This record gives sequence, C-alpha cells and structure tokens, in this order.
Amino acid sequence: MHFENIFLPRWIVKQVTLLAFVLVLLASVGFCQQPITIGFTVSKTGALNVDSLEQYRGFELWRDQVNAAGGIKASGKSYKVQFASYDDESNSKRVQQLYTRMILEDKADFLFSPYSSGLTATAAVVTEQYGKIMLTTGAAEGKTYTLGNHYLFQMFAPAPEYLKVALDALKAKDPKATVAFVYEDAAFSVAVVTPAKAYAQQQGFNVVFSEAYAPNTTDFSAILDKVIASKATVMLGGGHYADGSTLGRQLYARKAALKMITLLVAPDSEKWVELGDAGVGVCVPSQWEPQVTAKPQFGPTVAQFDKDYRAKFNAEPSYESAGGYAAGLILQHAIEKAGGIDAAKVAEALNATDATTFYGRTQFATAPNEHGLQVGHSMVLAQWHKDKSGKPVKQVVWPLASKSANLAYPIR
Amino acid sequence: MILRRPFFWLVLLASALFVFIPLRSNNVLLREDLILVAVAIILASNLNLMIGYTGYVNFGNIIFFGLGGYVGLYLATVRGWNLMLAAVVAGVAVSLFALLFGLAILRLRGAYFALATIGVLEAVQAFVSNFNPWGRATGMYVSFSAYQPLGGAMRALWITYYLIIAVMALSLILSLAIKNSKFGLGLFAIREDEDAAVVLGVNATVYKAIIYSVSAFLPAIAGTLMFYKNGMIDPSIAFELTLSIEAIVMLMLGGQGTVMGAALGGGLYETLRSYLLTSPKLSSFHLVIAGGLLLLVVLFAPGGLIGWLYRLAPRARKVIE
Repeated sequence: MHFENIFLPRWIVKQVTLLAFVLVLLASVGFCQQPITIGFTVSKTGALNVDSLEQYRGFELWRDQVNAAGGIKASGKSYKVQFASYDDESNSKRVQQLYTRMILEDKADFLFSPYSSGLTATAAVVTEQYGKIMLTTGAAEGKTYTLGNHYLFQMFAPAPEYLKVALDALKAKDPKATVAFVYEDAAFSVAVVTPAKAYAQQQGFNVVFSEAYAPNTTDFSAILDKVIASKATVMLGGGHYADGSTLGRQLYARKAALKMITLLVAPDSEKWVELGDAGVGVCVPSQWEPQVTAKPQFGPTVAQFDKDYRAKFNAEPSYESAGGYAAGLILQHAIEKAGGIDAAKVAEALNATDATTFYGRTQFATAPNEHGLQVGHSMVLAQWHKDKSGKPVKQVVWPLASKSANLAYPIR
Repeated sequence: MILRRPFFWLVLLASALFVFIPLRSNNVLLREDLILVAVAIILASNLNLMIGYTGYVNFGNIIFFGLGGYVGLYLATVRGWNLMLAAVVAGVAVSLFALLFGLAILRLRGAYFALATIGVLEAVQAFVSNFNPWGRATGMYVSFSAYQPLGGAMRALWITYYLIIAVMALSLILSLAIKNSKFGLGLFAIREDEDAAVVLGVNATVYKAIIYSVSAFLPAIAGTLMFYKNGMIDPSIAFELTLSIEAIVMLMLGGQGTVMGAALGGGLYETLRSYLLTSPKLSSFHLVIAGGLLLLVVLFAPGGLIGWLYRLAPRARKVIE
C-alpha cells in the first residue's frame, strides 16, 4: 500500500494548512485588537441639544473612520474605539452620576466632556479623582482650567478669544467705530463679553453702550431703542441660537444703522439661512470654518472632512462637529505617541502636543495654574454674504491670511 | 412623643441603610445613585410642608436649594469657612429670607400665590445673575484644592454624601414632628379651610410664614452640600424651574400630605428617571415613559401611591404616616 493512500489527498492538506494559517493570522490580529472605551454625555434633551448633537456627530464620524482603518495603532497593537454615552439632559444634576458610571461600570479609558462649561466643571470633579483624561469640547469658559486640574485638555479656543477676532477686524476697517455690547445674561456670553469690553477699550474703541438681556428674551425693542440712542455704529453680543436669531431679525426690522453686527453662536448654524436678508451681513466668531485650509500633519484635510461629514449626515459640518472630530483625532495621536493607553503617558503626550490638523493648531497650556487651557488654536470671523445666485453663504473675513471674502463694511 | 412613632424608627433604619450599604462595599456608583435619591427626598419632603400640609402650591421651591448653594459655597470657598458651618449658616440665612418674603406673598392665596412664587424665582435669579460677589451669570467654581481640608476630592464626596443623608433623615423627622404637633394641626386646618381656621383661632399669616421659612432651611443646607460636591454653581442651574416642577410631580406620585408619600415619591421618581436614562434600550424614550407612568398615577391614583395604599389597607396609616 502506497504511503500517500492512507492520508488525505495532497490538495486537501494544502487547503487545510492554508486555512489554519489564515485562522491563526486572524486570531493573532484579533488578539492584538483591543477595544478602547471613550465615555461622554450628550445633551440629547434640554437647552444644549442642538450644539451637543453636532459635537456628537463629530465623535461618531471619527470613531467610524478610525475603526474602518483598523483602529488606533500603537506599539504593534490595534485599539478598536467604542463609546459609552448617556443623555445628561443639559443639566449638571446628573453629570457626576453618569461620569462615575462611565468610569466604574463602563470602564471608560478616556473621556470627552459634556457640552458647556458648567457641565464640564461638574464632570471634572469626578474625572480628576480617578485620574481620567478628559478632552473638553464645547467648554470655552476658562475658569475650569484654573482650578488645579491635571487631566483636562481643552479643544476650543477659550471664551476671551471669541470677540477678539471681531474687534481686530473692526480695528483694521474702522478704528474710530463706536461699539455697543448687547448680550445674553448667561455664563457663556458673559464670559465672552466681559474680556471683550476690556479689549475694545484697550484697542481705543469708544464703548458707548453695554447691556445684558434675560436668556429667554423674545422682544428686543426696548434694548434696540437704547442701542440706536447710544449712536453706536457697531454691535457685538448675542448668546445662543434662539435669542441670537430673534435679535438678528429684530435688528433688520428696525433698520438700525449699524455698520457691523457680530453675534455669538447663532449665525454659525446652518439654520441661520432661514433669516433670509435679515441674516446677510451678520458676523460670527467661529472655531473652525471649511474655507480655512490648514495643512494637516495627520488626519483628514479640510476638504476630506467636509466631504465625509456631508456624505454621512447630509448636513454641513459646524465648528462643534469639527471640534468633536478633532478631539478624537488629537486623542488618537497622543495614544499613538504614548505607545498605548496608559493614562500618565497619554497625558504626557497631550501636554507635549503642538499639532496642526484640519481643525487648525492645537496646543495645551502646561502651567499648573491653567493646565489644559487651549493656547494654540485661533478663531476666525465669518460673515454671511450672498453668492452669485443670491443664496446666503458664510465666508471667512478675518484673519486676512485665512479670508475667503472681504469684510462687508458697512453691512448695507 | 415622636420617639414612640414606629415611622420615626423606620426613617432611622432607612437612613442607616443609605449610609452602610454603599460604605460597606465602597460602591461609589451606588453612592452617586443614592445621593440623587436623597436630594429628591429632601426637596419633596420640604415642599410637602407647603403643599401637602398647608395647601399652598409653591412653584418656586427650588429657590431655597439654589440660594443655599450660593450662600454656602460663597462662605466655604471664597471666605474659607468650614463646610458644615457654611451650610448651617446658609440654612439660617435662607430661612430668614423666606420668612420675610413669606410674610409678604403668603397674603395671596390659590393660583395667585402659585404665580407669585414663580415671580419670586425669576426675581431672585435675575438678582443673582447681576450680583458680582457670586460671579454674576458665570457663577462660582470650586477649586480642586478646596476639597483638601476634607482630605481630597474623593473623601470630600463621601463626607458630603453622609451629610446629605443626615439632612434627608432630618427632613423626614421634621415632617413627622410637625405632622404630630399642634402647629401641624393648625396647618392642616389652613389647608382644609383657611377662613374657618382663622375663626377657630389659628393665626394663619404667622403659621404660613413660619412653615414657608421652615421648608427653606434643610433644602438650603442640601443646596450648599450638593453644589459643593458638583464643583460649580450658576444661576441657570441653581434656579431651574424644571426642578421645582419635578419636586411637585414627586409629591403627586407618592402622595402629598404624608411623610412617607414625599419620601416614596422622591425615591421612586429619581430611581425611575435614573434607570430610564441609563438603560440602553429605553434611554431614547425616557421622557415618554416617565410622562406616561405619571399620567397613569394621576388618573388612577390621585392620592398618590400612599393614598392608594391607605385605600387598600386603612390600618397602614398607623405605621406609614
């Protein structure tokens, strides 16, 4: 009896060997691919819903792209990203409970912050205790970073930067302008306007009027009368979408002879188009706009991000969405640099970060009295213009190096 | 004598369980769940003194919690006072404020009083939003180093938890003591028919002002402790009308006018909301489910769960007050 006859045919042996090799290879890849959990809360309900969800979309897009590319790769290992997230109802009451749950029960390796400075400060009390790194997005108020933290890293340029760009643009165009501040009496807008007033005076502008309005204001006629009476030529302020869009409409209806109007947050939303002619000419400080083309050291280009975002969500990316994506990208970069997910090493890598991505430059302060504060990122000033077909479009008008159109001044 | 009431011992036993169960297992997650339950019970229980005992609907009850948070946090973090002392002083200050306001607005009755309480809430929020020492609209933040006197943030949060459980126990005992006192009888008389109570010799204006003031004391202390634990306070968080309304819903759920009703309503409502929010399958519908359940209670058990229990087993009144 021939020896070969008592064994399987040669072609079967070859196939089985090949199959076993493939299985071993897959198993080894699987073994190396560990999950990495990132925890955060989203304001699915409540006042912060719109902005928070846009940020969440940024996180989602980053996660899907990273996982599609085989996960985060560090020191020969591959980490597949998974999320643990809950609705914080736009309320700080439940934030500590949820972040504790994410750390202890969901075993989150890293955290993203809730949307808004107040909620972030509350979450930080818990995350600092457990030495968990938290990248903060949508938390522009700088106070949080002055409280002695070790593991917070801010992605947005801080609140004092918001109106600085508008005042710089104004200084270049009309240094003798008279300025009025009309703003929502809420944490974010007060944190923005207070340093902006000082900066305006420092730049030599005459601040002729300043008044805060209640967050739920719907009738601005009294306050607009005062602005007109003050003979201000420029108005800066606003707060969030609801009040900002109403203020924009009423300013247009009153035909206030203002040469420049800059409002916070609201004009950055794609819903601003609904204001029609009332929205044209209004400026908004922005953390990111697709027209600003930074040459990224890693991650997608601006055009790629813009295209992928539109393809996935059928919507324009806002600066909240870009900030969300960039938070993931910066964390990924730090994990790669640190060679793993050890919190101390990743924190060290984040502290050393000075990188340019599609979102712009990112660098964190490392001094103990302001640790994690964003010091590298610059804001831009965008203004609503009309394109050739008469459709409203947002253009970057400041700084000059990034501009996609000239500042329309006076507006009309 | 309150010590002879079985419910008094039930309160002590429940509070002891609140302390020992998370402590024994060092279960921080359970602590975080229970602290929200305890705060809900404190708010509902003290609101019950106004709504359940006196018949006055107070939509602005969250003022006491928020103002207490502001006064206490200011004293503890800006002035460097001991946390417990700051909390008690906040309680006294807010009670005095409530007494003065109470003397003015408690001359109103029914819907007029309810509307006035919303007005007071708005006015206080506007004042605090413009008050420089308290950080105006941006509020006050607690530095991480402020937890050092209590042994660091981790230990400070446990201490805050125990203190809040103590305030919860005190709230329930206070409700029980008032319910079984002559003063409480006067309040019930006002609730049933204020004019008749006055004719019978109850000084309604003073009684109402006192209970309004008393109902402010413990929520103000809880406010100090809770905002200290949270690490920050601002007017939009401290004076949120939704929280006032939630406290009223808790009372309706448990059964107003009873001590156990406030505790049960607060505990159940908070547990239900927490569960729905963190449930992977139900989290997207948490508001719908919570709203639907409350609707069922209002339609089929208008006296709340305790009212329903009393109907089923009238003898339960002797133990469950």
